[in-house]
Amino acid sequence: MEPIIKVNELKKDYKVYKDHKGYLGALRNLFDREYALVHAVDEINFSIYPGELVGYIGPNGAGKSTTIKMLTGLLVPTSGQVVVDGFIPWKDRQSYVKDIGVVFGQRTTLWWDLPVRDSFDLLKDIYEIPPKKFQQNLGLFREILDLDHFMDTPVRALSLGQRMRADLCAALLHEPKLVFLDEPTIGLDVVAKQRIRDFIKFSNTELGTTVLLTTHDSSDVARLCRRVMVIDHGKILYDGGFDELIKSFGGNRILFVEFAEFYQNPVLENATIAQRDGLNVTYTFKRADVSASNLIHQLSEKYRIRDLEVRDQPIEDTIREIYEDQLLYNQTYEQENTPS
Amino acid sequence: MRRNLSLLRKFLRIQIRSQLQYPASFVMEVISNAIILGFFFIAFALTMTQFGEIGGWSVGEVAFLWGMAEFSFGVMDMIFSGFDYDVFGPMVIKGTFDQLLLRPVNITLQVLGSRLVLRRLGKISEGLIIFIIGLSQVDVQWTFGRVIYLPILVISQILFFGSLFIIGATTTFWTKERLEILNVFTYGGSEIMSYPMHIFPRAIRLLFTFVVPAIFLSYFPMTYILDKTVQLNAPSFVPFLAPIIALSLFWLSLKFWHYGIRNYQSSGS
Repeated sequence: MEPIIKVNELKKDYKVYKDHKGYLGALRNLFDREYALVHAVDEINFSIYPGELVGYIGPNGAGKSTTIKMLTGLLVPTSGQVVVDGFIPWKDRQSYVKDIGVVFGQRTTLWWDLPVRDSFDLLKDIYEIPPKKFQQNLGLFREILDLDHFMDTPVRALSLGQRMRADLCAALLHEPKLVFLDEPTIGLDVVAKQRIRDFIKFSNTELGTTVLLTTHDSSDVARLCRRVMVIDHGKILYDGGFDELIKSFGGNRILFVEFAEFYQNPVLENATIAQRDGLNVTYTFKRADVSASNLIHQLSEKYRIRDLEVRDQPIEDTIREIYEDQLLYNQTYEQENTPS
Repeated sequence: MRRNLSLLRKFLRIQIRSQLQYPASFVMEVISNAIILGFFFIAFALTMTQFGEIGGWSVGEVAFLWGMAEFSFGVMDMIFSGFDYDVFGPMVIKGTFDQLLLRPVNITLQVLGSRLVLRRLGKISEGLIIFIIGLSQVDVQWTFGRVIYLPILVISQILFFGSLFIIGATTTFWTKERLEILNVFTYGGSEIMSYPMHIFPRAIRLLFTFVVPAIFLSYFPMTYILDKTVQLNAPSFVPFLAPIIALSLFWLSLKFWHYGIRNYQSSGS
């Protein structure tokens, strides 16, 4: 199968200017400006195949937005190639954007003063959506995204969550083959997030839309994406299964124990005590070092316990550790671009 | 083309609708706008009647000149509101412009449709009134050529000012903010076109001849329409260059605009 997105040695450098100080410096700035070259995106490669739902994650300033902007044609790369659906995004912009949908979480594509309904009507004309298809999609999306009670509200009066739902609907009304979602859940509450996730899932599985999802929130990725790409400092550090990523690095697990009597120092081999509060003790251990059953065995041999529970470390913490401890830098990964 | 026009109509209808949400305040604003601008001319006319003329031009003739420039600039300022760099600059910075680029519609059309400032009707009506006053005062033989050239001149002036706006908007792709100096050419240009230009110092005249060719859009053609002698060294065909200069400048400004679009790089995150 042909990839729908093919990215080859893609690179984007930014010049970051250093200003000279003072009045004379301001004058000097006009003629002679020093700058540092920042590799926002540094020769990355990947392919995305039709029907995939890929998470694109990384810390702030890692290069996610720059990549999305090049893929949507808003930025021209310094070097490298991008072919999306047979188009070079920044060259064939006007015909290219007909078949894609884009949502930037921080902005809206809707008309500020218009009721949501009228914005959708305009998009119908802009994308030349046949009336029947438009009615059908709108009917469906309204239900899933629960838009009904604010269809007649002007966009400026919507809450962030409502606006985001309307924006998501707007991006998919013309049934694009491919959508780019840049931080679609940013700043939203749990309920709104869930609606958005449901809709992304729906568009991918039911409509067959290919989705590239950029997000801060790793629980978005955990719930939606089988494949994830991790970018940091402009380089793709990992491209593969999300579960595998968590398994390799989310070694940390947590064991909660409630003892039946008080022990001065209830040590367990290969586990450390993270917290204790009377009879309740929390241990952490690494999956690679010891199995949960081994620990339970130790416990039952040495101590009298009342209750216990084993949990995986929350995904957010794992991802944070991957970024903060730069775990991916220490590993060599075979970056395969073939779909699983 | 038909699709584009129908889209433009729809975009502009939104603009009108949102500005007319509070019709009373809108009407008040237009009227007060026109009154303020009108006072400028009344003050000027009062001063002038003391002298009777300015550089050999009567009050009526200057009113004719002034009214037309004011009217053309007002019409342009309304139609080309989207290109006003006070509006367009923030659009580029805030990323709203990116949103337009992501739609499968001609970008120039979208910018044109992104704003239509109806308040400008104040300036337009003020210009029109002063123009009509001037028209009633001037003593001109209305030959066929003069009657035909008048609307051509108005359209040329509109295109001329529009070109300056488009050029101004395009510079914001690089500067990301308004360049104050451009006001010299846009607002300054319209100001200077309100007077018979031979009264200005040579340096200013040269600036508005060779850098910004405003003189070909008002002073020279007006000497033909009002049957005045050209008091500057210029060949006899200069009054008729207005449409050629306006169209060329407009064409150049669109070239520059498209160059800007092609080289546009979205900013920020």
